[in-house]
Amino acid sequence: MENMHEYAFYLGCIAPNRYPGAEAAAIRTSEKLGVKLLPLEGASCCPAPGAFGSIDLNVWMAMAARNLVLAEKMKKDIALVCNGCYKSIWEVNHKLKHNDDLRDRVNEVLKEIDMEYKGTINVYHLAELLYNPEICGVEKIRGSITNPLTGTRIAVHYGCHLMKPRKDRDFSVDAVSKTEAPHWMEEMVEALGAEAVEYRNKMQCCGAGGGVRGYDIVHSLDITNEKLINLKEVGVDALTDICPFCQLQFDRGQIEIQEKFGVSYGLPVLHYCELLGLAQGMSPQELALDLHAINCEPFLAKVL
Amino acid sequence: MVRSKGYPEALENKLIDRVLYDSDRSPEFTKVVEEISRTIPHMCYQCGTCTASCPSAPRSTYRIRKFVRRVVMGLENEALTDPDLWLCTTCYSCTDRCPRDIAPTDVIMAMRNLAFKRDIIPVNFLKTVQAIYTTGHGVPNNDVNRAARKKLGLEADPPTTHKFPQYIKGIQKILDYYKLKANADRIVKEREG
Repeated sequence: MENMHEYAFYLGCIAPNRYPGAEAAAIRTSEKLGVKLLPLEGASCCPAPGAFGSIDLNVWMAMAARNLVLAEKMKKDIALVCNGCYKSIWEVNHKLKHNDDLRDRVNEVLKEIDMEYKGTINVYHLAELLYNPEICGVEKIRGSITNPLTGTRIAVHYGCHLMKPRKDRDFSVDAVSKTEAPHWMEEMVEALGAEAVEYRNKMQCCGAGGGVRGYDIVHSLDITNEKLINLKEVGVDALTDICPFCQLQFDRGQIEIQEKFGVSYGLPVLHYCELLGLAQGMSPQELALDLHAINCEPFLAKVL
Repeated sequence: MVRSKGYPEALENKLIDRVLYDSDRSPEFTKVVEEISRTIPHMCYQCGTCTASCPSAPRSTYRIRKFVRRVVMGLENEALTDPDLWLCTTCYSCTDRCPRDIAPTDVIMAMRNLAFKRDIIPVNFLKTVQAIYTTGHGVPNNDVNRAARKKLGLEADPPTTHKFPQYIKGIQKILDYYKLKANADRIVKEREG
């Protein structure tokens, strides 16, 4: 096997602590694709960009910088699997690299814990790495599949903070930079043998971010519900995401929507890593799909 | 039927004509918001592309265009005390589409920072701070999840502050540097007793 691309795997909170199958799948599926994810010891919450950014942007930057320094010490670039984490970890890295005043301010705090942010590493979303032909690419994903998801219709929820705001992002692959009607995740889904399905207003937010889920759950779920209505309109077997917080909002959110609005959808929601795991032959047990709030069985019946 | 906060009563209230006086304005507000947000709300020509792109607008009285206008006019009190300030999901659609290259989302974030300095903040934001101060995680591990992780061949606690709690001290020092935990505890106690 050719040289592995090694990254410090920044876990965040929701993947390891609510959807551990996504973490396990990320590690095992990428290893088959030439990407080795190494533990980033002592990492914390990114911290949550909505909550911390709203309270004090300086604290948000200092806390994210601490996580970045851990990876700098490992001399590894970071790979992560959550859009919210991407917002904090990628964006703070970017800001501190390009703004001396912010970097000085952060380092003044980090001095208290004998750390210094140097700006020596880069941060990537795992999905972006898997799509990039220089690291992995769609063809290599297709080649790794042993259990194609043939006959299933799958829609993509891109989420917000990986790609937006476009002017504050810097992707090496052009397709990832398109925020109005992107198609790169659909390509990744089709590589698994499934049919990728477009739907109305697919780039709309899941409704959870910015602290809104905690502040006004009904408002937040109403946004989610709009997306679920649009998904129901086209008829899909599953929704895939690249952000565990969006996943939580769609998965547990469906239960809350049933309680509060009296409508149910029964739509399985899987992180792309979980979907890739199934297509590479991992079992539902190895992906802990039983921890999902929405029963994945109807979807699994089609693919197993 | 379940309802989100303050709708439609809040809307009716907001549609009442009002007169604004110079004394309602604090000219410093515009400057401070621009400093924190590092964006340029004064360039706004009120086209409304932001509100039209906003997923929160159709289901509330939250109008991002109005908040940007308040910043330009220096209407600090009106902006910071409006509960709609907390309905932005930070999806950045407005920022992506703004023809004046303003980042309205970051304008909101700056105003939230200023609101917090006046103790205006929903309690859920502070509870995230408390959770991170104690565990390093905003969404910490639990026993059901630990059992599931073991079945997956993962360690019961991920290799974060959960497995290495010695790192939590550093996190606490950062949060204490900004007196964030003390303020969070004080405000939560005031609200919830």
